[in-house]
Amino acid sequence: MRLSALLAMASKVTLPPNYRYGMSRPGSMADKRKNPPGTRRRPVAVEPISDEDWHLFCGDMVQVLEGKDAGKQGRVVQVIRQRNWVVLEGLNTHYRYIGKTKDFRGTMIPSEAPLLHRQVTLVDPVDRKPTEIEWRFTEAGERVRVSTRSGRIIPKPEFPRADGIVPETWTDGPKDTSVEDALERTYVPRLKTLEEEVMEAMGIQETRKHKKVYWY
Amino acid sequence: MAASRLAGFCQGVSAALKASRVLINSQAPTSPGCRFAVGLLPGNLPNVTAFHQCRSLHTTLSRKGLEEFFDDPKNWGEEKVKSGASWTCQQLRNKSNEDLHKLWYVLLKERNMLLTLEQEAKRQRLPMPSPERLEKVVDSMDALDKVVQEREDALRLLQTGQEKARPGAWRRDIFGRIIWHKFKQWPIPWYLNKRYNRKRFFAMPYVERFVRLRFEKYARTESRKKSLKKKKEKILQEKFPHLSEAQKSSLA
Repeated sequence: MRLSALLAMASKVTLPPNYRYGMSRPGSMADKRKNPPGTRRRPVAVEPISDEDWHLFCGDMVQVLEGKDAGKQGRVVQVIRQRNWVVLEGLNTHYRYIGKTKDFRGTMIPSEAPLLHRQVTLVDPVDRKPTEIEWRFTEAGERVRVSTRSGRIIPKPEFPRADGIVPETWTDGPKDTSVEDALERTYVPRLKTLEEEVMEAMGIQETRKHKKVYWY
Repeated sequence: MAASRLAGFCQGVSAALKASRVLINSQAPTSPGCRFAVGLLPGNLPNVTAFHQCRSLHTTLSRKGLEEFFDDPKNWGEEKVKSGASWTCQQLRNKSNEDLHKLWYVLLKERNMLLTLEQEAKRQRLPMPSPERLEKVVDSMDALDKVVQEREDALRLLQTGQEKARPGAWRRDIFGRIIWHKFKQWPIPWYLNKRYNRKRFFAMPYVERFVRLRFEKYARTESRKKSLKKKKEKILQEKFPHLSEAQKSSLA
């Protein structure tokens, strides 16, 4: 088990102390090109928001307050917590060329620029007007976002999973444990160690005598 | 193209296995070597019987079992292989010790298979199909280890009151530092052990000066960290003036 911990340490990705998070995923080719090892940039001041206070999730409908597309509503596609950024679908775009080669100028595509959390507000799903949000508890004890203007609960939005799995249409593969088998409780607490219980179950008799060892 | 090359390799391996006349049929569920394959946890287990039927008959009695280092032949050459989620700690806490013991070996064999696949993909300079399977298996094994350690800790604390499984002691090393010396197992007592007696668990008087210098270094780094933290706080206050009001309201 110690060897596996050592290998895990070797494979774990470490970022430099004042790493500046950008639109590219850390460790990707684009990020390695932008931040080669030894890059030191001035750290960016990011407002510290705790995980409980953060209210913008992927799939939310939000309205832009500042910028080129101020006043427009869009869906959040990506949230970058390290910079307090949200990326909206098709809004706040600039244009760039993709697939450029030596002779070909490439295809122009619109690429979205991120917006800070202060530059967007959530939109009330019923009347589609921008509103401020508070985190409150329901009668059932669930923590939900409540619009301060209308008092309506804004539910957490649906967003497809990154691994492409749709839980409703999932079928178990040959190597997957079924739900009932995974949740079946077979543990009976006993005052025996794992080794003793397994030896009992397999009928192993330990006949070797333990030689005296000195611990120091 | 890439997939077909990997498939080509896999077919080559299977040809090699056929050539070595590996007998798979003897690994029937009733044999003592495969007791783990039977009974509990029908899922998350390579389906041994189906695999027997898809390969042709082997006639020698030798059981190498090397085919377990490779995936189901149906998945050879696929770009993506579907896999479920990893085992969580809470699910594993509900399982008995025998189940965990069996699951550990199932996961270990799957991990070995995936590591073989990863290495072969690196050797052939091709992308590994579905590398997230390896991460899931590693996470499951870590969770299992954590659960087993929890149970062991609980039993030990209850029966003996010892917090640590391995004995040790606080000792001063040759550099004057107070360290937790973890005990090793030796066949002979300490006063007869030449190698152990060469280790010094005391510090000579000339080391005191260096202990003071080391403390000074530590004090300087701590104060530097503190002042850096204060500077960062000040910058944040300037940029985001509402933070101080938020802090005061949360405290009050």
